[in-house]
Amino acid sequence: MSDLLADDSEWADVVPIRQYENVNPIAPIFYSEEYKDATDYFRGVVKTGEMSPRVLKLTERVIRMNPAHYTAWQHRYKTVMALQVSLEDELELMDEIATMFLKTYQVWHHRRLILTALNSVDAAARELVFLKTVLENDSKNYHTWSYRQWILVHFNDEERLWAGERPYVEELLEEDVRNNSAWHHRFFVVFSSGVRAGDEDREQTLRRELSFAKEKIALAPNNLSAWNYLRGALEHTHTPFTTVTAFVEPYTASEPPATDVVDLDNPLPSAGAQLPCVAALEFLADIYEEEGGEKTAKAVEIWKLLANEKDTMRKKYWEHRIRDALQKA
Amino acid sequence: MGDPRTLARGGHASHSSRCLIGLPSSQVEVDPSRIAVIFYCLGTMDILSTLQLQSGEQDRESWKEWFWEQQISSPYGTGFRPSTYMTPEDHHGEPSEYNTGHLVMTYTALLCLSILRDDFSNLDRRGILHLLRSCQQPDGSFTALPTGGESDLRMTYCAFVISSLLDDWSGIDLDHALAYIDKCYSYEGGYGQSPFGEALGGTTYCAVASLGLAPDTPTSSRATRLAGVNRARTIRWLVQNQTESGGFSGRTNKLADACYCFWCGAALAILGEGDLVNERTLTEFLANCQFKFGGIAKAPGERPDPYHTYLSLAILAILPADHGNDETWKLPRLNPLWNATEDTAQWARAHIPAKAS
Repeated sequence: MSDLLADDSEWADVVPIRQYENVNPIAPIFYSEEYKDATDYFRGVVKTGEMSPRVLKLTERVIRMNPAHYTAWQHRYKTVMALQVSLEDELELMDEIATMFLKTYQVWHHRRLILTALNSVDAAARELVFLKTVLENDSKNYHTWSYRQWILVHFNDEERLWAGERPYVEELLEEDVRNNSAWHHRFFVVFSSGVRAGDEDREQTLRRELSFAKEKIALAPNNLSAWNYLRGALEHTHTPFTTVTAFVEPYTASEPPATDVVDLDNPLPSAGAQLPCVAALEFLADIYEEEGGEKTAKAVEIWKLLANEKDTMRKKYWEHRIRDALQKA
Repeated sequence: MGDPRTLARGGHASHSSRCLIGLPSSQVEVDPSRIAVIFYCLGTMDILSTLQLQSGEQDRESWKEWFWEQQISSPYGTGFRPSTYMTPEDHHGEPSEYNTGHLVMTYTALLCLSILRDDFSNLDRRGILHLLRSCQQPDGSFTALPTGGESDLRMTYCAFVISSLLDDWSGIDLDHALAYIDKCYSYEGGYGQSPFGEALGGTTYCAVASLGLAPDTPTSSRATRLAGVNRARTIRWLVQNQTESGGFSGRTNKLADACYCFWCGAALAILGEGDLVNERTLTEFLANCQFKFGGIAKAPGERPDPYHTYLSLAILAILPADHGNDETWKLPRLNPLWNATEDTAQWARAHIPAKAS
């Protein structure tokens, strides 16, 4: 490959500037010829302060070789704004670059800056669609989720942005009920970001969320994400754990109960479930601890079972819980 | 994998010293964070006590010189830049818009210089405090650069350690910064990278360490910051991240990764609950992450890198398991708040010039 800028007449008027290196640099990187060439010209245009269409090409070239090159990103953003190029075009290019370098911070930061400048709910709505395709390939990508949450908070439009989020989470959990990012997103949408349109009746909202979590637990009882959601929903609304005792108990037994009675509020573990469920035992112990008094002994009994038999990996933690509870009692 | 029963000290030390000699072009992405990578390499040699063996007096002197060349002043204050990747060949130390200090690099450079036992006579402490002020945002968070960039708990932690190393908190609006940390707390008990984020091991360490480092203020004391139900929930979540493999995952229902053994384990140690970790299975997991030619990888069977090598050794130093007579596992004490060996932390305390009174 010999398409160096040094051989390109379009760049003949720019003086390339080599990188300064101390006599004994520490952990130097043995750059490729193409990278050296591109960054030499980049230092050249930074020195003269050039902002032009060819600088957009140059920064793209550097970014494709090194997406973490934050200076190239900074100068690109400045140039995009100075030239007043179409921000939609910039986003289209970014769609491709984001997909290539999903785990690079700068990719997502640049996108935020562009969306902030665009300042359009239409664009924000399109972003949610784009992010959906990204999450199809990597459903737990942290940057992508953070960015999605930022879009929602920043543009804050109930009808066009927030309204689709809960159904979207449900779609994702249908595919993978253990996707903690999706569970977290649900909590963010329903509880921590404010009150969504239609969710004004908080008691009803809580009931809906508890039912949702219980249903998913019934489907896969040893799924910590769902149990953490259940805890979170109760704690966030200052609802005592004792309100779900009837639901939790069957999951602490060794066998699913032999009954045909269907209680919609308290779905039972499925026939093949692996029981007892450690998360349910923990939950029941927390319920007993919350009740206090004589119940503390029952909590201690469960913690002992967890420490010595059911969750020996965390033996020291369960013993710590026993000490802690007895100290408080 | 080599013999998983012993710690391959020699292999890990050589992995690090090889990286200091140079990195292949495929590693070009670390250039804008090069001092951090150097910190993982020097830190590994510091924990393994091989720095004197693996480098000559002259190397160390020229390294120090290189570091001080990265300390750069601008109208925004003074800090360390990642490397000379944007420095023109004909430079005369003049500042430019894109040549400014970076918070993560400033934190790791201070530790590197302590590892190299520098006397810190070149340190521009007033300038660094000025940089912190330039990086703090209206929401209390910090950007990595005074000219922008992403802001999240990683940068908060760096700003806090820098203040702690300089023993001067005047560069930070502390109550504001503490309020930002609170906003990152998630219902699971861990902290997200930024407000509304999913609980994540790395940023939970950043939050817990920051809360542990910050001095008391009229409205916030250390004792109340790391207490009560929130603390209990954090401990529960951290402990729960130790998976069947013995290693820690960084989020609920994810696979274990060597770096999260540090982030989660060290956070527990800071909370005074390091004992709750199952250090035997943790050590087994990390032993299996050792690469046969040296270095430690994020998981068994993967390629090693300086980041996972350093953090694995660091947590083994913080939470040692009982290895009987096997001396290979014997590591020095490590300060979990600064992420430095006690000797290096001691050096920093003694040699970073004191605040002018």
